[in-house]
Amino acid sequence: MAITLNIHRTVADKKWVQEYKVELKKGMTILEALNEIKAMQDPTLSFTASCRSSICGACAVRVNGNAELACEVLVEDLVKRYKSETLTVEPLGNFKVLRDLIVDWDPKFDRMKKIKPSLHPKKEFSPEKGCKQSIADFKKYDEYAGCILCGACVSECNKSTVDEKDFLDPFTFVKAAKLVLDSRSRDPKEHLQAVIDAGLWKCMKCQECTANCPKGLKPAEAIEKLHEATFKLGLTSSVGANHAKALYDDIYNTGRLDESKLSIQSEGLVAAALRAPFAMRLMKTGKLDPFEKVPVNPEINKIRDILKNAKEAE
Amino acid sequence: MAEQISRRTFIKAGVAVGAAVAAGTYFEWQGNNIPAAVQKGTALYDVLIIGSGGAGMRAALEAAKDKNIKVAIMTKLIPTRSATTMAQGGMNGCTGVTDSKDTPESHAFDTVKGGDYLCDQDAVEYFAENAGKIIYEMDYYGYPYHRQEDGSFHQRKMGGSSHARAAYYADESGLATVHTLFEQCLEQNVEMISECQMLEIVVKDEKLSGVIAVDMRSGNIVSVPAKTVIVATGGYGRAYWIRTTNPYSSTGDGIAACLNIGVPFKDPEMVQFHPTGLAINGVLLSESSRSEGAYLLNKNGERFMKKYAPDKMELATRDIVARSIETEISEGRGIGEGLNAAVYLDFRHIPKEIIKERLGQVYDLSLRFEGVDITEKPVPIRCSCHYSMGGIDVIDYKTCATKVPGVFAAGECSCVSIHGANRLGANSLSEVLMFGKTAGIGAPAYAKKVGYVGDKEALNAALAKWNKTFEEVTARTSGPRVVELRDKMAASMWFKAGVYREENQLQEGLKEIDDLIKEYKICYVGDASRNYNTAFMNYIELGNLLLVSKAIIMGAIARKESRGGHSRKDFPKRDDKNFLKHTIISKVGDEFKTEYRDVVITKFKPAERTY
Amino acid sequence: MMKYALFPGCVLEGAAKEAYMATKKVAVALGIELVEIPNWTCCGASHAQGVDELALIAINARNMAIAEGMGLPIMTVCNTCTLELRQAKAKLDSDKNLKAKVNEILAKSGYEYKGTSEITHLLWVLASNPNVFEGKITKPLKGVKVAGYYGCHLLRPPKVMNYEDGKNPESLEKIISILGATPVEFDFKLKCCGFHAFFTAERDVMTVTGEAVDSAAKAGADMMVTPCPLCQMQLDMYQPEGRAAVKSKVEIPVLHLPQLIGLAMGMSKEDMGINRHISAVEKIK
Repeated sequence: MAITLNIHRTVADKKWVQEYKVELKKGMTILEALNEIKAMQDPTLSFTASCRSSICGACAVRVNGNAELACEVLVEDLVKRYKSETLTVEPLGNFKVLRDLIVDWDPKFDRMKKIKPSLHPKKEFSPEKGCKQSIADFKKYDEYAGCILCGACVSECNKSTVDEKDFLDPFTFVKAAKLVLDSRSRDPKEHLQAVIDAGLWKCMKCQECTANCPKGLKPAEAIEKLHEATFKLGLTSSVGANHAKALYDDIYNTGRLDESKLSIQSEGLVAAALRAPFAMRLMKTGKLDPFEKVPVNPEINKIRDILKNAKEAE
Repeated sequence: MAEQISRRTFIKAGVAVGAAVAAGTYFEWQGNNIPAAVQKGTALYDVLIIGSGGAGMRAALEAAKDKNIKVAIMTKLIPTRSATTMAQGGMNGCTGVTDSKDTPESHAFDTVKGGDYLCDQDAVEYFAENAGKIIYEMDYYGYPYHRQEDGSFHQRKMGGSSHARAAYYADESGLATVHTLFEQCLEQNVEMISECQMLEIVVKDEKLSGVIAVDMRSGNIVSVPAKTVIVATGGYGRAYWIRTTNPYSSTGDGIAACLNIGVPFKDPEMVQFHPTGLAINGVLLSESSRSEGAYLLNKNGERFMKKYAPDKMELATRDIVARSIETEISEGRGIGEGLNAAVYLDFRHIPKEIIKERLGQVYDLSLRFEGVDITEKPVPIRCSCHYSMGGIDVIDYKTCATKVPGVFAAGECSCVSIHGANRLGANSLSEVLMFGKTAGIGAPAYAKKVGYVGDKEALNAALAKWNKTFEEVTARTSGPRVVELRDKMAASMWFKAGVYREENQLQEGLKEIDDLIKEYKICYVGDASRNYNTAFMNYIELGNLLLVSKAIIMGAIARKESRGGHSRKDFPKRDDKNFLKHTIISKVGDEFKTEYRDVVITKFKPAERTY
Repeated sequence: MMKYALFPGCVLEGAAKEAYMATKKVAVALGIELVEIPNWTCCGASHAQGVDELALIAINARNMAIAEGMGLPIMTVCNTCTLELRQAKAKLDSDKNLKAKVNEILAKSGYEYKGTSEITHLLWVLASNPNVFEGKITKPLKGVKVAGYYGCHLLRPPKVMNYEDGKNPESLEKIISILGATPVEFDFKLKCCGFHAFFTAERDVMTVTGEAVDSAAKAGADMMVTPCPLCQMQLDMYQPEGRAAVKSKVEIPVLHLPQLIGLAMGMSKEDMGINRHISAVEKIK
């Protein structure tokens, strides 16, 4: 079976889409298809790749709108997924393109520096004697150490696509979560405050990062863990933290969220007042009734006990 | 058009096309992959490190401790794509935290014995004394070690080791090494000269002037003056192209550059072959396949290891298993043909739960690349070039200096020699860290003492020469293609200088490589753009691999014995009387010459290597 | 007859009452029996999880435990509720220690989570049982072009939301076709409406909202339909701001999935509560 790959090309100041055909072979990955095109058809096609075993992160590209590690994903599987013998290959999204499928990592590394990206060990540790850490504490962050910096997570990130200037890349949140959750850190706040300043609460929760991570790392969950850390470490003076806390408190108070109060709880009275036009619109169609009281769940005491006991169990 | 562009990005891409064509400002954009002073040619580095794997980054961190030292890492990719990421098992070092009976002497002995006594024992002792310290340092740098009950990192026992001494992160120990070092480099603001392919180390009259490289993004050839250069470019497994577990980037760039300035290539014939690479592409199936009990079968379904190692069967050492597989194939009991000929690795008798639990990666790789579900069918495998014990001749293990003043080497590209004729599992990560650090001390000390002795004229001349080369080779419209030569090289190396070697074949191989070197001079690159020209990069890499290949064969011809990774069919025995020596290959003009240097023996008298 | 424990979620009890109304009517007409889980609580809406994850796993374990007592699988009508319940279930079912820890917490309030009730969504139930529509589509939506907007949390993360391939889902188009309408492909059908960052990244949220609506309109859709009441609220109530953010002129109605089904089954616009929407309601005939 011949497969058509429509590859987005960029060379110097020219951009175009070029069609290539390759014969589908057993076990053929996107990377092998690209290699074959470069070897047999067009030496000008450029991409980066190194280990071809999903660990160096060099070969991530976007196929039919989703980031993939080229060395890992089978052409055959994509043909099945998209029910099409034509696939579109582009460079990763939310990166500047250097040429063809090669993207620019420098701005990403610059931004990564903002979170103070290395461990700042506690005073009692030393380079001569190393550090100590319990097995349980190690397990709190160990999966995040498996990030290969391939960039797949940011490619389809909805927030980054709209505006990345006030929002870190998902892989940087993963790194931040690793450092904040590492018991060897002398003060996790050193990293956490920087992360809050760099958009921690602006995540749209679209889960694209988690859906696209080839290592199964769940960056969206890392962001959630960082949210949780802001409460544990008392860095909660933000709209995002207020909003999360408001929802939590609603569960505690009635068992259900109270939409009429949410804006005030999250943003404060003044900002909420600015939302009056929205609220009026909601009230007009009967969507928001400021006089309706959310009924209190009959089992509210049991519910409160669950929240309290969970907090104590940690 | 809409059909051709993916659904999600149609609109965005449509806009981008218009914008980019209208603006056309690519070359005005100032990337920061390269510091501005390097672009202009005005930077002068105390320490310029080539390569951003474990050795390169560790060296940079050490050198950067002195704020008066100007240091930078040059890398042809970006800093986290190196072969170091692929290391699985861990890093060896005697600390006694898991096994209190371990001693540096035991580590040294295991290393020397594993290396079939071709190691320099003074260097090995220095290595074993210090490797433990490296593990603690990495802990302080933030390495995510697996822990044991007392809160210390945990160490596991690797093949060929007498004690548990490998600290690790899952089966991704190398990945964690690279990223821990990279985090430190970012935070310490270590200068990166990223996406820059080294073309030449410029030395005139034994005086180092600096490095010539091509900035991949702009295609500009840049000259970087430097007081010292640390070569940390990794191995050369790609000489065997698809029959290697190495990344595409392991093309012996630093070794070739060193050969060209008169630094010899030590023990080039010492190549380690891993017995279980996937037949289709050489990708490594972990050692755990055999340790979990997988059988090796030939095409008749025979467990052929009973002929070669009746006691240990599949659990015999890597080199014995590798040779047995190749014997089966060469005697017609394999399946398939050419570079992809193979035997079977059979897991069907292993319970499915064990496969899922302990051999998850092996299962995934077999399914992905061979389309084989190993719980149902055996998977075709063959040996795959795994590691280069030989490398740039380091003459002082306490500084990593080479023969040319100011030029240092560390990591897989170097030969200190601590691995001798065969490397032990988990010694490579320790080596890159330990000798990266050593070079990171040695080079700045030299820079301070000697200063810049280089010749700007020599640099300018080299720069002009490479600009001319670029224009000339990329302008060609015909000639043998780079990939054609590359595939011929791989076939020559695999069939004439692979797992088994013998005189006639080696001589044929040498002639073939010589012919390829001639053809290389007129080969067709196929891309004349200056913008990220990966075809030109591959051309440079092939040139390097051809030099390396020639040296491998010459070393193999000269070493008329079998030792460690080097197996001569015509000389099947180890010959300590004549070959307890390092092969030293140098390049003089276009000619290679072979010399020998005695191995340093301190404590451990050569003995037969049995396990 | 199909029978489910219904987890309506806060929004169906509040701002999206019309969706609750439509769900109940349509379920009855299709012969699906829904029994509301008594005394359910908010799922955390993906925000309270950021305060105390363990607490919210326990809260959702309680929701599930009640349904288990009813001996019924759980059906939801909100993407985020579905995700939070399934996420909690996935974690509890794959981690014995966590399950024990949570059950210890629950035991003090008299509940036990066993893991016996599956969690599904109205869309999945219908896509898996197209036979329920047989003979019921009395007013097929002939010639109506409908843009099906999935919403993130019914597709992602794929390990938890694994009803279909989240990178190329088809269930919504399948239902649209069954109803006699024509599904419309559009660039933003798998993208995010922005709802969950409404308070923290408002400008960006309005942009994605506007882009989604504009993308459907440009693809020629007469209306949008979504299985998620949060997406519906965002795309409908904030459509004026969204369209302003991306300078889009075309206003387009956005329906809850059960509303579209109801219309195709001959129910009235009023029965389906469409008058509670604000965007281009008049275009719905």
